[in-house]
Amino acid sequence: MLTAAAVIGVGHFISQRQDYETSIERSYQAEMAARVQIAQGDDSKAARRTIAAEEARRAELRDSISDDTRNTAILVGIGLIAGLIGALLLFAGLITAMRRPLEALVDAAGRLAAGDRSTRVEVGGLSETATLGKAFNDMAAELELEASERDQLDRMKDEFVLTASHELRSPLTSVQGFAELLMMERDSLTQRQVETVEIILDNCRHLVRLLNDLLDLARSDAGRLAIRPRPTRLGPLIEDVVRTLRAQTEASEQTLTEKIDANLPLVEVEPDRIRQILVNLVTNAHEYSPKRASIEVTARVTDAEVEIDVIDDGPGIPPAQMEHIFERFVRGDAGLTQRVGGTGLGLAISKSLVELHGGTISVDSEVGRGSTFKVLLPVAPPGAVEAPPSGPRAIAEGPR
Amino acid sequence: MTTVLVADDSETILLLMRTRLELAGYEVETAADGQEVTERVDPDSTDGPDLLLLDAMMPRKSGIDALRELRAAGLETPALIVSAHQDPSDADAPTDLEISGYVTKPIDFDLLLGAVAELTAKAA
Repeated sequence: MLTAAAVIGVGHFISQRQDYETSIERSYQAEMAARVQIAQGDDSKAARRTIAAEEARRAELRDSISDDTRNTAILVGIGLIAGLIGALLLFAGLITAMRRPLEALVDAAGRLAAGDRSTRVEVGGLSETATLGKAFNDMAAELELEASERDQLDRMKDEFVLTASHELRSPLTSVQGFAELLMMERDSLTQRQVETVEIILDNCRHLVRLLNDLLDLARSDAGRLAIRPRPTRLGPLIEDVVRTLRAQTEASEQTLTEKIDANLPLVEVEPDRIRQILVNLVTNAHEYSPKRASIEVTARVTDAEVEIDVIDDGPGIPPAQMEHIFERFVRGDAGLTQRVGGTGLGLAISKSLVELHGGTISVDSEVGRGSTFKVLLPVAPPGAVEAPPSGPRAIAEGPR
Repeated sequence: MTTVLVADDSETILLLMRTRLELAGYEVETAADGQEVTERVDPDSTDGPDLLLLDAMMPRKSGIDALRELRAAGLETPALIVSAHQDPSDADAPTDLEISGYVTKPIDFDLLLGAVAELTAKAA
């Protein structure tokens, strides 16, 4: 408003200035006419009075105009300051109006990034922030849709693997069963036929292992890999695994020994699953190590955990491979895997299983020196007693 | 002679089971689904089969449903459930039914024949 007053003031000042110049000009013209009259010899008193009067009038006009100029300058100054303050207030208002929606947007973006795909912002305020808010909501909606589609695909994948590994079991039962029947009559088979049937049986066993591993992984992914832990003595379990696998290691002239602390406490685990993990670790040590290597399984108590180490003096694992060793379908050097019979899933499953028991699994290895796989399992609560398995017994195939 | 009733919807599996069980000295009857099992087994008869070996999943009537009906009618014959599931806790394993054991596919016949011998010896 004051700015408007300043503008009006400046306009007023300009028109006054024009009046002033016209008046001065007229005054000079009047004085000039009087002087001409005098120069022509008409030295009348009236002419001299006119000159004096015009001089006085001009002085008065000059005084008045300089007052006007000062007033106008003050007015303009005030107007400018007021304008500046007005602009500042306007900016402050704009910033406040934008800040709240922007803060909400930053907040929502943080939640979205943290995985809350249902995050939305309230659309409103200035048209710019409203547009931004709407764009954000559209983006979040799209992400939410994609995430739910991905979840659904994941579920379908898990379902598929479960069904497939289930459906494959019946034909596999027939192939293996009839091959075993043939082997029961091995006396009437030629050497070549016996070898052929042995190959069929070998591959059946491999297929069963793959199916079991895939099933475990699919269950783990679907959150359906359940364990039924009960207080368990690890010593006999480790001895049993070592005894079962000794035939294989002896065939490679490897030594397989165990060293178990005498006062090992009970651990809260599902024995079959721990057996599965140990069989996997010892089999890996056996298959990846050369002839005459030595493999040792140790168990001791550390604080609230029992530590099981599977130690070999084999070729070791290069650091680049060690990073990925617990990922699925990651296997040791191709040169070695030629004679390695695993599925590439064993360590991934072992990791899932150990973690399901509330434990950890890790590896320490040096190329040329060997590898140590370390499993930590929580000790059973004090007062726990070794419990027999519950529920109907499963008549399943041997150790997985 | 000890008789085992085997039910499976796959003829190949039935042939395999029959062969292995007959080789082990059992008399074998077969059924293609649970419906046939409930029609053939009389819960009140004493000269029915000595053991039931039922596939958990079959069309028309599953082995589980057939066994549930027979148990409700008072049958006490031991029964083994054959399941393609690796783990009895997975899907088709009811806890309210008296089942002597689960056989998972692929079948380990040494273990199966051992269990059959044990269960039929008890029955005899």
